[in-house]
Amino acid sequence: MDNDSSTSGDAEIVGQVVAGDVHAFEHLLRKYQNHVLILLKKHLPYDQIEETAQDVFIRAYQSLPTFRGESSFKQWLSTIAVRTCYDFWRKHYKSRELPMSSLTEKHQVWLEEAISAQASQSFHEQSLQKEAREILDWALDRLSAADRMVLELVYLEGYSLRETADLLGWSIANVKVRSFRSRKKLHKLLTHEISGLDRGSTT
Amino acid sequence: MNSPKTEHEVLQTILRKAYREKENVEVGDQWQQEVMRRVRNLGALQPTPGFPEMLEQLVWRLAPVTCLLIFGLTVLFAVSDFTSGYEVFQLFMNGTEELTFAQFVGL
Repeated sequence: MDNDSSTSGDAEIVGQVVAGDVHAFEHLLRKYQNHVLILLKKHLPYDQIEETAQDVFIRAYQSLPTFRGESSFKQWLSTIAVRTCYDFWRKHYKSRELPMSSLTEKHQVWLEEAISAQASQSFHEQSLQKEAREILDWALDRLSAADRMVLELVYLEGYSLRETADLLGWSIANVKVRSFRSRKKLHKLLTHEISGLDRGSTT
Repeated sequence: MNSPKTEHEVLQTILRKAYREKENVEVGDQWQQEVMRRVRNLGALQPTPGFPEMLEQLVWRLAPVTCLLIFGLTVLFAVSDFTSGYEVFQLFMNGTEELTFAQFVGL
């Protein structure tokens, strides 16, 4: 019920903005800023969040005449946010130099301990999340922009294949194949690092 | 050592947890004002054109190409030798018994 009234309220505001009331857009901005920020925080580096949030809302404003109300405004805005993140990574990956460095020994040890049978539950709960984030960023940086987005949405966030396909504007088959491949790549990257550590310790 | 499946599951749990932690990053609150400033600069939105307007746009977009095509065809017709073609056709139609294939192709 609340969701319906919220959706119709959004449609009304969208109508006002399209009719020329620029200031009405501020209602949509205030209402959905946190939703967009949460999405962007998970997909982007910290220093890019504010700038990309601006781009998302500007893109949304310019695309408002094409909003048909077939999905909720929130869902429509999420699609724009996710595609803006994808565009960011595509640009970023084009201009970057290919990172060659492997994980530091500290990270390798941490990773090995984390997935070993000896690791207790308390290790997972109490160990420093900073290391985990650094390892995750390191691994994601070695994937393509498309693999990165699919991996984040399906594997890390738990979106279904259909939801991911809708968000990225791809076919479900494409998402399914990419999801499988990117997950294998991630595991290969991380397990390769651990086996590298094993080799180093035996020599 | 864990089995590969368990290893993957443990890894996924750790990475998911680390990924979710990213939500807790603090972001400034000035960017909303910048969005509204940019929106005001962009001004009111233009409504999406309907089918007649889109058709009109398409017609005007194709107009130069059409003019060029008409001009090109006119020039082509003007420089083509119609008369000889017409004469050969008449000769062929009127005196078929006198015109052998060898003569027709000029051998």
